[in-house]
Amino acid sequence: MKKLKKIDLRVSLAGLKLKNPVIAASGTFGYGTEYTGLAEPGDFGAVITKTITLAPRPGNRPPRICETASGMLNSIGLANVGFEAFKNDKLPRLVEKKAVIIANIAGNTIEEYVELAKKINKISHIPALELNISCPNVKQGGIAFGTDPSSAAALTKAVRKVYKKTLIVKLSPNVSDIAAIARAVEKAGADALSLINTLYGMAVDIKKRRPVLGNITGGLSGPAIKPVALYNLYKAYHSVKIPLIGLGGIMDHRDALEFLITGAVAVQIGTANFVNPSAAKDILSGLAGYCRENNITKITKLTGILKC
Amino acid sequence: MKQYHSIQIASNARVSDKAYTLSFKIPGLAKSADPGQFVHIRLSPGSNHPLLRRPFSINDIRGDKVEILYEVKGSGTELLSQISPKDTLDVIGPLGKGFDIDLRKRYHLLVAGGMGIAPMGFLGRRLKSLKLKHELLYGCRSSSELIPSDIKICSISSDDGSCGKKGLVTSLLPDKLESCQNPVVYACGPWPMLKAVARICQNKNIPCQVSLESFMACGVGACQGCVVRSSDGSYISVCDKGPVFDSRLIDWDQDCVV
Ligand SMILES: Cc1cc2nc3c(=O)[nH]c(=O)nc-3n(C[C@H](O)[C@H](O)[C@H](O)COP(=O)(O)OP(=O)(O)OC[C@H]3O[C@@H](n4cnc5c(N)ncnc54)[C@H](O)[C@@H]3O)c2cc1C
Ligand SMILES: Cc1cc2nc3c(=O)[nH]c(=O)nc-3n(C[C@H](O)[C@H](O)[C@H](O)COP(=O)(O)O)c2cc1C
Ligand code: FES
Repeated sequence: MKKLKKIDLRVSLAGLKLKNPVIAASGTFGYGTEYTGLAEPGDFGAVITKTITLAPRPGNRPPRICETASGMLNSIGLANVGFEAFKNDKLPRLVEKKAVIIANIAGNTIEEYVELAKKINKISHIPALELNISCPNVKQGGIAFGTDPSSAAALTKAVRKVYKKTLIVKLSPNVSDIAAIARAVEKAGADALSLINTLYGMAVDIKKRRPVLGNITGGLSGPAIKPVALYNLYKAYHSVKIPLIGLGGIMDHRDALEFLITGAVAVQIGTANFVNPSAAKDILSGLAGYCRENNITKITKLTGILKC
Repeated sequence: MKQYHSIQIASNARVSDKAYTLSFKIPGLAKSADPGQFVHIRLSPGSNHPLLRRPFSINDIRGDKVEILYEVKGSGTELLSQISPKDTLDVIGPLGKGFDIDLRKRYHLLVAGGMGIAPMGFLGRRLKSLKLKHELLYGCRSSSELIPSDIKICSISSDDGSCGKKGLVTSLLPDKLESCQNPVVYACGPWPMLKAVARICQNKNIPCQVSLESFMACGVGACQGCVVRSSDGSYISVCDKGPVFDSRLIDWDQDCVV
């Protein structure tokens, strides 16, 4: 048998070097060890943690998830163990897995984001930070910063001052002009952007005449949001120079290719992890296959080659 | 350990009005699974409809064959009912924490309501192999929904009186518990039934384990989507901390999640 040509899958996000462009999305891969036996953090180029807040958060009242046409709603409400327990209990087990770890954080105020960023900055095992300014499931903080360019910029700027490593900001699609937010965040010092987080959504139980979700509304993810995600990526790609990480509804390597071609340097896999825990591995082998068929030796050559 | 299996269906047969048993061969899973654990099945490999996996208790294990017992509820289980032998499915399991069998107990009472019969076959088989005395208290809506079981049945009830005693299975429970020594109760069924069983057992100080249902996405404790409120007010994930819980751990005053 002919030996398969090796494809260079390495990518770089403003200095953060990844062995491949497939990243686990926040909130869908837990703290990295829950899928043991099915998927490993090392399968991914990097693993992004569930959003961490200063204090533990119990999350929203159940039901918290609901399947919809080609997608799902969630209203987890940033349930997490809080920074201290993350650092002491969760992180050591994830570090053992030898994957690149990106911490995702959120706060109610700029001060909380800054305090968390300072703490994360001191942890040598964590080379990058993703700011969640786009969670639709909490009342304060989160999306309040992500829907207004000047608040997004103020937050990014404040965190940039104290955070010395790779700073990624995760954007919300629940805005009228993503380009304006992307530009504001770039100018404020972000190294890279992730887009998109979930879209506002809801579902109704017609028997009970009640919302299905305990929180009434939730965030929509999965294949249903892919066109929206690509549109936002396209807009952002033509507005900023910093590297973009694309996500939203990626289920297989063909989906991932759409994002890379549109302008993403890397992609994140969210809902697909629930459906197919080996999604990352499958996508990577599919990407390598596509490169081979098209005589492309480096995956980075695909970024932004969209012909319009 | 939980694993990923692409399996070929051995059989998919109707056993009552709306229920089917599906069996497939997974030697590894058959060996390692415990009663009360579940499998997470992708019903449409290669397509996104339906998108999420569906959880099903392991109904029985015979040799290296694993069986699930399911009721057609919506689009996913409808699809499942149309699957025929030789079709392939994608199964993850065994998942979750099953029943904790207390070897010191003299009498093991299995209480099932409706499809709550699903995990009992496997539990009965395990108790039998451990030579522990056990019986089943089984309630259903009507005789057309009664599912045959290998376990020794002590009483049956039905909502319409078409089989066994007319009424709820929980109305048979207090007398049964009076008549036996040092019992433990394992229950599975709809939330209101579990709530009643838990209350009866708690009042009599009898240990009781319940198998809960909840909407699930990951099935492995990663997404926190499947939580219920515990008695200390915190939320616990059903997929990995359960689905079987000590009934005292659950806050029974919350609305049923599914
Ligand atoms: C641990 C566990 C074990 C289970 N074991 C069995 C079993 O052995 N036999 C059996 O018949 N059923 C069992 N169920 C319930 C079964 O998973 C649902 O009936 C099934 O998912 C319905 O899918 P559907 O597409 O037909 O229904 P739909 O109503 O179309 O499903 C829509 C969505 O709701 C979810 N859903 C709907 N009802 C339930 C429910 N009761 N529990 C969990 N999710 C639900 C589905 O998974 C899906 O995501 C179990 C549930 C859990 C959590
Ligand atoms: C159950 C669930 C929990 C999530 N939790 C978080 C979170 O804690 N922080 C965050 O930034 N995004 C969270 N997300 C959003 C995802 O990271 C991702 O942006 C979104 O789901 C779109 O990608 P997908 O369609 O591939 O899932 C969550 C998504 C889901 C489905
Ligand atoms: S289904 Fe994801 S934590 Fe239980």
